[in-house]
Amino acid sequence: MNIIRIHKGRDIRLPGSAERKKVSLALPSTVAVQPFDFYGLRLRPVVKAGDSVKVGSPLLEHKDDRRVKIVSPASGTVAGIMRGEKRSLSAVTVLCDGKQDALSFPKISAAEIKNFSPDSLVERMLVAGVWPCLRQRPFSKIADPGRRPKAIFVQAHMTDPLSPDLDFVLEGREARFHQGLEILKRLTPGNVFVCCSPAARSRAIREAKGVSVVGFAGPHPAGNISTFIHHLDPVGKGDLVWYIGAEDVCRVADLILEGRFIPRRTIAVTGEGAPARFYGETILGAPLRHLFPGPQPAGLRYISGSVLRGTDAGLDGYVCFYDQQVTALPQGGNREFLGWIRPGGNKYSFSRTFFSSFPRRAAAPVSLDTGMHGSRRAIVLPHLYDDYVALDVLTYFLVRAITAGDMEEALRLGLLECAQEDFALCSFACASKFDVGRVIQQGLTRLEKEGEE
Amino acid sequence: MTFLARKLQSLGRHFSAGSPLAKFYPVYEALDTFFFTPGTRTPQAPFIRDSLDLKRVMTFVVISLLPCLAAGVYNTGYQVLLARGEDIRFLACVGQGLLKVLPIMLVAYAAGGFWEVLFAVVRKHEISEGFLVTGLLCTLIMPPTVPLWQVAAGVSFGVVIGKEIFGGTGYNVFNPALVSRAFLFFSYPARFSGDRVWVAVDGVSRATPLAVLSAAGHGGQAVSALREAGYSFSNMFWGFIPGCIGETSKFACLLGLVFLLVTGVASWRIVAGCGLGLLVTSSFLFLLRGPEALAFFSLPPHWHLVMGGFAFGAVFMATDPVSSCATNPGRWVFGLMTGALVVLIRVFNPAYPEGVMLAILFMNAFAPLIDHCVVGRHIKKRSARLKVFQGKAG
Repeated sequence: MNIIRIHKGRDIRLPGSAERKKVSLALPSTVAVQPFDFYGLRLRPVVKAGDSVKVGSPLLEHKDDRRVKIVSPASGTVAGIMRGEKRSLSAVTVLCDGKQDALSFPKISAAEIKNFSPDSLVERMLVAGVWPCLRQRPFSKIADPGRRPKAIFVQAHMTDPLSPDLDFVLEGREARFHQGLEILKRLTPGNVFVCCSPAARSRAIREAKGVSVVGFAGPHPAGNISTFIHHLDPVGKGDLVWYIGAEDVCRVADLILEGRFIPRRTIAVTGEGAPARFYGETILGAPLRHLFPGPQPAGLRYISGSVLRGTDAGLDGYVCFYDQQVTALPQGGNREFLGWIRPGGNKYSFSRTFFSSFPRRAAAPVSLDTGMHGSRRAIVLPHLYDDYVALDVLTYFLVRAITAGDMEEALRLGLLECAQEDFALCSFACASKFDVGRVIQQGLTRLEKEGEE
Repeated sequence: MTFLARKLQSLGRHFSAGSPLAKFYPVYEALDTFFFTPGTRTPQAPFIRDSLDLKRVMTFVVISLLPCLAAGVYNTGYQVLLARGEDIRFLACVGQGLLKVLPIMLVAYAAGGFWEVLFAVVRKHEISEGFLVTGLLCTLIMPPTVPLWQVAAGVSFGVVIGKEIFGGTGYNVFNPALVSRAFLFFSYPARFSGDRVWVAVDGVSRATPLAVLSAAGHGGQAVSALREAGYSFSNMFWGFIPGCIGETSKFACLLGLVFLLVTGVASWRIVAGCGLGLLVTSSFLFLLRGPEALAFFSLPPHWHLVMGGFAFGAVFMATDPVSSCATNPGRWVFGLMTGALVVLIRVFNPAYPEGVMLAILFMNAFAPLIDHCVVGRHIKKRSARLKVFQGKAG
């Protein structure tokens, strides 16, 4: 295994990581598919409330390319089509009947994979709705089935706070994972990179054949997709790469070999506020209440995803399509007397302006909450950012180019290689409480729009 | 504590939207968040945030300036007693010093605070903590004899023209405190240069060490000229010399520097660059010393460090993260050139014996250009790297 060492960045060690045990959860009573998860698709529903659906029945389709569809992870009846602001589609919910009847699709044996053309494999993935598992860079949107990437990256390592150990998630699914890699290899003329932790022990990763297995050592964001791509095969203008989560690789193999859409999803239940912390085996689109059963303490924020890049789903919300973790984070916002001058022996900070910074106690987890700890100001300390980005970009100048609307300059500064989550640590560290990632996302959205015109 | 929190909350009603005082909400907000950290929560990811905020950063800069303020107060009084020929007692020095410095400080804060509040109210943004630093910096770079109305005029000019018209703290091109001083320096030169302004006693004239050397002309030994005027390395280092209020004690600057570097608030690259630039340039001149050359050439390079406002400027003014460079290589260049310019202005410009203020302002103007060059190089490097990967694929 090649190892790439990341020096920039920082691990934030929170209390409440998931215990290494997998718990098979009962089927939830409802599941939801949320269009907001599928960045880059313009979706419209193809079912109406009351329709009965099977696992793999299409619920939504992409207006611009009707072959791309989002399918139901459960069998049952469509409970409702929810609309949010300006009547935008916010969710399609399905009432589960508990049978998990699945649509069946044509299947092929593992040995036959290499006889099938890439186009026919893509066709099968589209029909059965596993296609959205593949996303592309630049712009982090659902892959375009009409193009082939110069490389495919498999994410088998995450470094967000409390993130699941994907090595552990893959345990017991080695064969499927390897078969999935065989399929992916057919889809690109270039490399398939499996990006993992340097400590990865599972046979799934150790014994992967015909792909480049690369370990990413170092602190967060060593486990971000952008970091993998930047160090292995960066994207410039006109380039295209795809990426996919390790568990979704198994899903692709399940479909091609078994002819069924298997909605299985392992989710790490984490966070200081979670009464029980474990790896829950459930299905896509499960409600958060399903993962936090029983009475819940008050004063928590329920996040689908990690504290750095997740979505505030709420206890009544649903896990987002790509998320493999849910976090219960204590709510903050306690007002502290003369906070600007207190020595702060118990405050967490990347800076050295608190007593807690001396000596650096790297090992002990620190409890953090949703408090902002300050007011919004103009950026005064621009040099703070670059220490926490694992890409070769000048963050402050990139932000400046985007806010000034100078997209040419932003492009030259490497905006195409970036994603919102790569700057989460910058937003965390910023003394002016400036949301760097959000500006980067605005820049990417604008660039994409201008590219289309 | 809860009593205070309740009082503030009930006070807040008068400033809420629709109330007669709604316009002055920024004033209430500043008062409220002075006592209690704001209770806002993160609206979206990242859901957790660092405990550091700008209030703390600015407070730490103010703390780092306190040794200079203390030394400045003491020395101002000390110079007065010395000039009057009175007994030098600690408390008398402090008392005399406070009499001179306190009014200047109050006026600087009042003028700076007034403009800050006015702009916050008119432009509807929160009051930025930047004026806490600017007010103190302005005080410390004034001669002790400065008339108070000039302090008010200078701070007003610095805050409004140097900062607010660009959009406030974080958007300024020049260091506002230096803009104040430059404005006063060129408007009222008699009050900001010469021999009569450094000791707060009427009619007493004492040349600063830099003025002594500036007047020494060609030939001659710099160190002995200084000794004759009563200046040694040690009294310049400890700060028992006439000069601007905060600049005299290099020891106090050093304490401030240590605090800024340990807490990581100031960029060590800029300070190191300034020191190195100054030493290299003055060493070069030192090698060229001789009977024909200016007496200034014969000054040992390390003496430059303790003379004039260099230490104060390098530690507290050049390191302003907003008006200096934002890239690390740029910071080195910025520092090196500032240090070199200080020596050049000191030695070769007969009109201004001190060059720190002008050197930093000049480099402030050049900081964006330096950054532009660094960014340009970065872009070239990036595209070269991308080409390597694209070449492999093709």
